[in-house]
Amino acid sequence: MLRMQRISKSFGSVHANRAIDFDVPAGRIVGLLGENGSGKTTLMNILFGIVGPDAGLIEFKGRALRGHSPRDAIAAGIGMIHQHFTLVPAMTVTENVMLGWEATGWWLRPTAIAQRIRDASSAYHLGLDPDARVELLSLGTQQRVEIVKAALRGVELLVLDEPTSSLSPPEVAGLLGILRRLRDEGRSVIFISHKLGEVLEICDEVVVLRDGQVVGRVETTGVDRHELARLMVGRDVSSPIDRVTHSTGSERLVVAHLLARDALGIERLRDLSFSVRAGEVLALVGVDGNGQAELARVIVGIDRPTSGSVFVDGADVTAGGVAARRAAGLAHVPADRATTGLVTDMTIAENLALRSFDEPPLRHGPWLDAAAMTELARERIAEFEIRAPGPTSIARALSGGNQQKIVLARELAGRPSVLVAEQPTRGLDPAATRFVIDQVLALRAAGGAVLYITTELEEALLVADRIGVLYQGRLVGLLRRERVDLARLGLMMAGALEEPSDAAALYGVPTP
Amino acid sequence: MDVVAELLAAALRIATPLLFAALGGILSERAGVFAVGLEGMMLAGAFAGVIATHALGHAGLGLIASVVGGGLLSAVVAVVAVRYCADQMVTGLAVNILALGLTSFLLRGLFGRGEAPIIRVTPLTSISIPVLADIPVVGPLLFRQPALTYAGLALVVMLFVAFQRTQAGLTLRAVGENPTAAFASGANPIRVRFLAVIGAGALAGVGGAVLSLQQVGTFTDGMTNGRGYLALAAVIVGRWSPVGALVGCLLFGSADALQLRIQGLRLPISSYVIQMLPYVVSLAVLAGLGRGARLPAAIGTPFFREPR
Amino acid sequence: MRPVLAVALALAMTALLIAAAGKNPLLAYAALGRGALGSWDRIGVGLNKATPYVLTGIGVALCFRARVINIGGEGQIALGGLAATWIALTFPQAPPVVLPLLALTAGALAGTGWAALAAAIRLHRGVHEVLGTLLLNFVGVLIVSEALQGALGEPGAGFPQSPLLPRASWLPRVLSGSDLHAGILIALIVVVAAHALLWRTPFGFRMRVLGASVPAAVYAGISPPGVLLGVMSLAGALAGLAGAIEVLGVHYRLIDGFSHGFGFNAVAIALLGALNPITVLPAGLFFGFLETGALAMQRAVGVPTPLVAVIQGLTMIFILSAMGLSARRSKV
Repeated sequence: MLRMQRISKSFGSVHANRAIDFDVPAGRIVGLLGENGSGKTTLMNILFGIVGPDAGLIEFKGRALRGHSPRDAIAAGIGMIHQHFTLVPAMTVTENVMLGWEATGWWLRPTAIAQRIRDASSAYHLGLDPDARVELLSLGTQQRVEIVKAALRGVELLVLDEPTSSLSPPEVAGLLGILRRLRDEGRSVIFISHKLGEVLEICDEVVVLRDGQVVGRVETTGVDRHELARLMVGRDVSSPIDRVTHSTGSERLVVAHLLARDALGIERLRDLSFSVRAGEVLALVGVDGNGQAELARVIVGIDRPTSGSVFVDGADVTAGGVAARRAAGLAHVPADRATTGLVTDMTIAENLALRSFDEPPLRHGPWLDAAAMTELARERIAEFEIRAPGPTSIARALSGGNQQKIVLARELAGRPSVLVAEQPTRGLDPAATRFVIDQVLALRAAGGAVLYITTELEEALLVADRIGVLYQGRLVGLLRRERVDLARLGLMMAGALEEPSDAAALYGVPTP
Repeated sequence: MDVVAELLAAALRIATPLLFAALGGILSERAGVFAVGLEGMMLAGAFAGVIATHALGHAGLGLIASVVGGGLLSAVVAVVAVRYCADQMVTGLAVNILALGLTSFLLRGLFGRGEAPIIRVTPLTSISIPVLADIPVVGPLLFRQPALTYAGLALVVMLFVAFQRTQAGLTLRAVGENPTAAFASGANPIRVRFLAVIGAGALAGVGGAVLSLQQVGTFTDGMTNGRGYLALAAVIVGRWSPVGALVGCLLFGSADALQLRIQGLRLPISSYVIQMLPYVVSLAVLAGLGRGARLPAAIGTPFFREPR
Repeated sequence: MRPVLAVALALAMTALLIAAAGKNPLLAYAALGRGALGSWDRIGVGLNKATPYVLTGIGVALCFRARVINIGGEGQIALGGLAATWIALTFPQAPPVVLPLLALTAGALAGTGWAALAAAIRLHRGVHEVLGTLLLNFVGVLIVSEALQGALGEPGAGFPQSPLLPRASWLPRVLSGSDLHAGILIALIVVVAAHALLWRTPFGFRMRVLGASVPAAVYAGISPPGVLLGVMSLAGALAGLAGAIEVLGVHYRLIDGFSHGFGFNAVAIALLGALNPITVLPAGLFFGFLETGALAMQRAVGVPTPLVAVIQGLTMIFILSAMGLSARRSKV
């Protein structure tokens, strides 16, 4: 049905796609497997017409596709569900389905469309309410709106980009069921993912991409997981990480009975209490959107909780802001380094001074000491091996890994008592990921306490001493790493299981 | 009662230029582009309308010219802010400055010899709808108004329906809320915003023509005097809906009508204080509404299209 | 280089416009140049005109740096002039150095207050500062008109204005043979001070971080409302100061409508000056000389003075286009 031949695309010096051949027969689910940065999304964006290839041909159902836009792709019968949903939050399901659908004509008939949505919803077991506003729906339901959009438009090839990244395990099962049904109707599905297990479960065949090239193509029946992982990563996956088991010290970070509401009055954190000790890494896992971002903001001081307290090294910092908590020894690596952790248009030196510019040695009376800033920057660049021309380079020019190094250099300098790290390895290549994890473990060895918020279960298992699960703003489980069982973790993340906390694992919380 | 009715009728009349500009502003802002340039577009329309009527002799042609005048100016905003992705608000300001200078310059350059000439055009008259116009209170308010006021009211209804029930309206709203989603659904956000801004200019231009052709009868330097900004305030007060904008414009129109009438009475309040009324009212209403207003989510954010 | 190119393009386009109006652009520009720079006297007038432009331009530029769009210059200048006039008329017996200083300070404070009002409305009620400063402009100007009708007015004058201010309050001349007054010195001091503030103080650092990225600023412990209030107060002070300087150095009285157009000009000048105090200086000078030259140009060649606004608008549009296009390139 689909034939892509020798597709190539470069963005500046980055070769996203190199002469890729990719075919999809009718009535098959084909997986596109690869790590972050392997070129999967670029390839699909080319297919869908969001980006044009530098070279190569695309043929769909016998007709060539070139110079096309998403509108043409949709008209030809290709549908794409992106990682970040392309729905309009303020509009209803019906309006979103009608959007851009030429078959509805210029005069809209919402009632007729709503009925068609209901019919399709029951046919595919989607459970959709056409009049609901999208922003009030769960991420899993939103995804199903996207699917009904595609189905009603009669797509014959459906592309899903990392569809399960925001779903709980039961929702994933539901999605896979829907995809199987579509395949049995004779449509085809391209399933893009970096998660081995799912790809093996749902796909009929898998194409593996690495560094912009196709490195393997296999039928999924009978394939070896390790073999696939090796193809994806290109080297032996399981390199051991040195984790010295040692005893832990006093509680350095304590959060007690945190309750937080967002701007719309919805509760995001519900009676959350836990502590992190010196020399310990506590990893909080959970599907994105269950309170991780809100928790980090409350702990770090960007937001005030509705009630509850935060203690750093025994001192109550709840009333203080970001600067006060920093002074108390709290460091923060935010989830989004490009927009939050760094000012990409400023120099490395300025970025390194971002949190400490208002105090000596960088400030003398009313003036900033530019020389001191530069000197400090030089030291840090050397210490953290940041690859850059010099302290006055603009941060934007650096690679993702080096940018994260700047953030780490800034936060870890001065030996913080507590580090709150949000998705610190997101978007980084394996070497940079390794660097980050090493730094975290080094802080742990030096007696610091680390709160490690991540969506990557495997990574959490690597670094953590204890693992907690966040579900809808509550801590539904808090276990020592040795007692962890992936199946139980998955159920907790889906809200289907709530552990009475392992008494020895949950250390005392100070009485309010 | 008569006084109130007369006041309301006057309010609607005075509000008509604001209304056209506000409806244009809704088009632009709902599509995600700040409509700060309404003032300049109105002025351009006012100017073009008077010049064309004077030169060609027919007010209808003047109206068409005002559409073109406002549209040309809004084309600048469309190109610079939408296509070139410059800051939308500052571009609007630039266009306002340009309009001010250009209209005054052309006024003198085309007609006077370095001085500002006075061009008089006969103002358009009111049209009474028989029978309905005689209903007490409501009659004069709704059925004895100039033609363009009727047009404005009709436009409110049309725009309301268009936003809710046409694919074009849906697409425009989607572009203002989430252009990436609109793009992935097959729309072209740049093109939609472009057309929305030009539409805004055309409507604001008509608003200017209402001011110069229908209300005043001539063009003077900077005659819009902040009405474009009041129209913008009306859009926000009315929460970006056509009916709400109508209410907002009526509010400001009432303040203006009141101010004109009070000047006749000998109240102990200074006339300057009374002149402040529309602006203070608008500030108060905006402040009173606070953050409740629901902006088009993607307003002000340019849409970057990756190279093909 | 980019601002210079924008100005050149704007001048070129305006030349076409002049030609279309039936006049010779070269003659017109020559008259413009002579009117602006033809003699020390003319240069003095131009520098006087440029002084409030530089001051308000710097204020707006600093606001832009912190992501704040402040077009309240007109109202702030008007009230600054009002405050200075009131001081001068109320304390005519004060010594000749103290009185102007007092009046200038009062002007700055009045401007700060008016700008802070707009900032407060923005912070507490969510009204965007563009609308807030704009509407307050109208109100501020009307307050001045009102004052000129009453306590501060000169009865019997054909035009709303205050009585002539006492000699002791006038700003001293600094160049014999011309009208150039001490305001230009104040402007120069402000340029240096603003540059130092922006690049060498913690507050300036805060402004620049906030202007670059709001989430990064919050993360760094910078309070956006604090910066907003601070930078707008500063801009208000500069505008109020400019108003006081106009009253004490040029008109020697408060004249109705003297603040007209300053707010928007300041935006154009800030853009032309690339939002940097040091380069806002030549930008302000350019516009000041443009205006003095334009009057002469109108007298000599008959080209109307609104041309200046056309040049301003075109310049802004070209600069904005270039800014937008380069931002687009770096996003992709």
